[in-house]
This record gives sequence, structure tokens and C-alpha cells, in this order.
Amino acid sequence: MEHVIEEQYVWQLPVRVYHWINGLCVTFLFITGLYIASPVLSPAIGEAVWYHKMAWFRYVHFGSAFIFLANFIFRLYWALFGDDKYGRFAGFKPWSPVWWGQPFNEQLKSYLFIKKEEPNYCGHNPVAALTHFLFIFCGSVFMILTGLAMYGENNPGGFTDTLFGWVVLIFGSSQSMHTIHHVVAWVFPVYLVLHLYAVIRHDIVDRSSITSSIITGYKHKVEECPE
Amino acid sequence: MKKDTTYKDILEARGVNRRDFLKFCSLMSVYLGFSSTLVPKIVRAMETKPRIPVIWLHGLECTCCSESFIRSSHPITADIVLNMISLDYDDTLSAAAGDQLEAVRKQIMKEYKGQYILAVEGNAPTKDDGVYCMVNGDSFTNMLKETAADAMAVIAWGSCASFGCVQNAKPNPTGATPIHKLIKDKPLVNVPGCPPIAEVMTGVITHLLTFGKLPELDRLKRPKAFYGTRIHDKCYRRPYFDAGMFVESFDDEAANKGWCLYKMGCKGPTTFNACSTVKWNEGTSYPIQAGHPCLGCSEPGFWDNGPFYTRLADVSFLGTNANADTIGKVAVGAAAAGMAAHAVGTAIKNKKQNPLTTNEGEG
Repeated sequence: MEHVIEEQYVWQLPVRVYHWINGLCVTFLFITGLYIASPVLSPAIGEAVWYHKMAWFRYVHFGSAFIFLANFIFRLYWALFGDDKYGRFAGFKPWSPVWWGQPFNEQLKSYLFIKKEEPNYCGHNPVAALTHFLFIFCGSVFMILTGLAMYGENNPGGFTDTLFGWVVLIFGSSQSMHTIHHVVAWVFPVYLVLHLYAVIRHDIVDRSSITSSIITGYKHKVEECPE
Repeated sequence: MKKDTTYKDILEARGVNRRDFLKFCSLMSVYLGFSSTLVPKIVRAMETKPRIPVIWLHGLECTCCSESFIRSSHPITADIVLNMISLDYDDTLSAAAGDQLEAVRKQIMKEYKGQYILAVEGNAPTKDDGVYCMVNGDSFTNMLKETAADAMAVIAWGSCASFGCVQNAKPNPTGATPIHKLIKDKPLVNVPGCPPIAEVMTGVITHLLTFGKLPELDRLKRPKAFYGTRIHDKCYRRPYFDAGMFVESFDDEAANKGWCLYKMGCKGPTTFNACSTVKWNEGTSYPIQAGHPCLGCSEPGFWDNGPFYTRLADVSFLGTNANADTIGKVAVGAAAAGMAAHAVGTAIKNKKQNPLTTNEGEG
């Protein structure tokens, strides 16, 4: 049972590249975002025009944001049109009661220690897929829309503002939107805790090399997948 | 005074010379962002068009908009409020009161049906049938709707009328509702600010007069000419912001030197207004120039985005007021605690299921 019986190529290169670019961007975005809200470094002393301390943090924030956005769009493209069994979103159908049925229940019960069996999936299990959808997909869409709306504010009537300025109306004012953008940013560190824990736990329980799989792309099958 | 006298007639009667009159027209053209070729059009409108009858209602408000208005910098601008617009009904400024004044309002509504401007200062409390603001035995809400029905256009003066201001800050006990949520079938312009800048107010009226329609508006129905940029983007302290040179307390050296007030809670980066360009009191100064952070008084819900003197706003969170970072740290802590507990659970489960697991090496 504990012998490696099969090597499985699960995460194709585009998925792995997306994963790490996304992780890096989120890290940069989160740190610079916190700094923009509370610039804690002591000021440079001299003529203001020569120093760009705050400007640099904002520059990195916006720069990473656009890479993050491009990467996100690429991942959506890959999810919908990529020739990738595990990277596609085809199996994720939260609108269908069938999706919430047996596999989801069993996985959830297993996580909650109600059931002893540990289902083993090659790709994402249904609970993981739902978590990714809520935290990463919804979280990213939210941050992108509010982010672009704020970004457009320096030039009302310009390209970004015309396309995304309406988002401000949902929150009433620009300041409220800034606040909510800041609150929702914390979704990512919360997700990081869940994600790292789940990965390490699965690696220990399933022994599927899930941790290194996001670098190599390969998982190791130690028993039959209940697909 | 006859109702159909033109602005020029009034100005002549008041002894304003041609030179000052033209200066006023040029000034208005600049404020409204027009090219100089449009100055003659403003002049012509002022000379030929009869005064627009205005009904100026006061709801839940503090009259700071009126106070601001009568402090317009240009002498002729100040004249507008008392002479140039035919301010036929204003319960704060009128000598008459009660039934007499209400009769005047009814008369204007009848005689100038579809031609008068309804200017509203303050908003309407809608809770409990509007009993929290009564005028002459009727609720202000009813009066507002009745007067708006035959108006040509509606001007919502100030943050109260535009967005609700302090009256509809949480928990909004009187159900105070901004004008645009009550009057939906009329052209409406919001002129927010607590109060709005006097020149902005006269600018809106001049535009209305010259072109017979409201100025170009943004998504929040504010005139683009005055609310088109953030205070932050035209703030003279912006270089200090970009450099990261911030005031940390009101009595530190940085405050003395006039560095950026961002960390003191300045809402300039999220506030659309003309303060950093038009300024106040004859272009003398504006809050940031005086060393005080912008409160964002022309933004919707600015009272609920407090505290005024911190950058991060408080958010209602599980019955407390916490800022975004407190909420985030609690959430991350909770997630970590949850995962730690789950790890313990997993270990116990593994022990029970397979006590030998830990001894079986893979090698």
C-alpha cells in the first residue's frame, strides 16, 4: 500500500507557473498594500522631490497588480480552454446539486473527522475546489475590480475609470471602497494558512508528494484514486 | 422688482460697471472650465435672459451652505443670492413667514410651472411619516415632493441634500434621505461639501443660466468641472506624500514644516472636490493648507468613515469597532488556531487507526 505504484503528471507547466507568479504577486501586493495604508518607515530627510519612498511602494503595488491580473486572466483561459484534465474548471459545478453530493460530503466528513476514510484525489478534491473558488477566484475578482476602480480615480473619465469606476457606487464612496479592499486583502493570508496546512497534512496522510508536485508537476500514487 | 428683469438690469440698478460685469463673466468661465470663446455667451445670457425663479427649501440642515454662498469672493457673485436669481422663496432669508410665505411658494409654482429651479439645502427625514422635519404643518418630505413636481431642475446643495451627511450617518434615527433618492424624475445636480465652496455654487447657477441646462455630471451627479479630480492630485503637499514624509502628530516638527497629513487621517486621496484649486474665502486657504487633514466632507457617508484622524477607517465587526488590520489579524489567528486543532485531531486519528504508522519508515 505504501509503495509508489505510479507517477502521475498532474500540474502542467502553465498551472505551476501561474501558481508561483500568483503567490509572488499576492505577497508583494499584500506587503506593499499594508505599507500604503500605514507607511511606517521613517522619512528621508531632504528635499521631498528626490525621494520616492511612498511612490515606490505604490508603484510596486500597481505593477504587481497588473501582473497578478494578467496571470489571473491567463489562468481563466487555461481553465476554460486548456488541454488539462486537472487544471480545468470543468468538474466544478457548484450550481448543480449533484456536485454537492457524495464526493463532496465524503471529503467534508473526512476533514471533520466524521468519517475515517481519507479520499485521495489526483487533482483538487471538491472541498479544496470550493475553497479555491471562494478565496482565490472570488477574492481575486473582488480585489481586481475594486483595485481598478481605485486606480482609475486619478483620471476620472479616463480608460480605467470609464470601465471600472461604477464599482465605487456599490460601496457608496471611495473611502469605503478603500476600507473594504483592505479588509478583503486579509482573505489571502487566511487562505495561505489553510492552504499550507492542507497541503502538508495531505502530504503526510496520503503520501502523494503533493508539496513538491507544484514544482515538479508529479504526484505519486500510493493507492488507487477513487475517481 | 419685476420678475422678468434680466441680470444686466439688476446690475445696472446696483451701479456695477461694465468692466466688473465682464470680469465676473470671465471668472465664471474659468471656474467652469470653459474656453475664453464662451465668455461672450455668458455675457449675452446675463444680459438677455430673465432671472430664473428659485425656490430654496431648507430641510434637515445647518444652513452652512447658505452661509458659504453669501461669502462668495467676487462682489457680483455675492449679489447672485440676493438679487440675480429671483430668490422668491427662502424661509431663512425671507422677511415673511408662515402662511404668507407658503402662499408665495404656491404662486411661483403656478405661475412658473416647469420653469423654476428647486434648490434644496438639507435632506428629508422619511421615518414615521416625516414628523422629524415639519414645515407649516406638513412634513418636509411632502413639501419637497410637491415643489419638485413642477420644477425645471433640482439643485441639491451640500452633502446633506446630496448624500445625507451627518443626519443619515449610522444609525440614522430619522430616516434622513438624500434628495436624489426621493426625486427621480427631474434633472438633478448634487453639489456636495459641508458646505460646498461658494464659487462652486455660483458656478453651477451661472452654467444653468447660460446654457439653460445642468453642467456635465459624473456618476454621483456632481458637476465634473468642480468634482473631477481628487484633492490629493492637486494638493500642494503631494511631493511630501510621494516622498513618504508625513506628519506624525499635530505638534511635531513635520507638522511645523508642512509635510503630508496622510497619516493624520487626511481623506484628500479619496475626496473629489475643488478645495485644492479654487480654495476658500476668496482663495485664501483650504483645510490642508491650514495644517488640518481633509475630512472628506463632500464624499458620501464621510461621517461613517471615521475616525477623522486615522488613515484606516473603523469597521463594524462582531459588534465592535475595529479597523481592517485588527479584523485581518483575528481572522488569520483563528485560521491558524483551527488548523493547529485539526492537526492534533489528525495525529490522534492516525494513532488510533494505525499505531505503527510512525514506526514505518519509507526507506
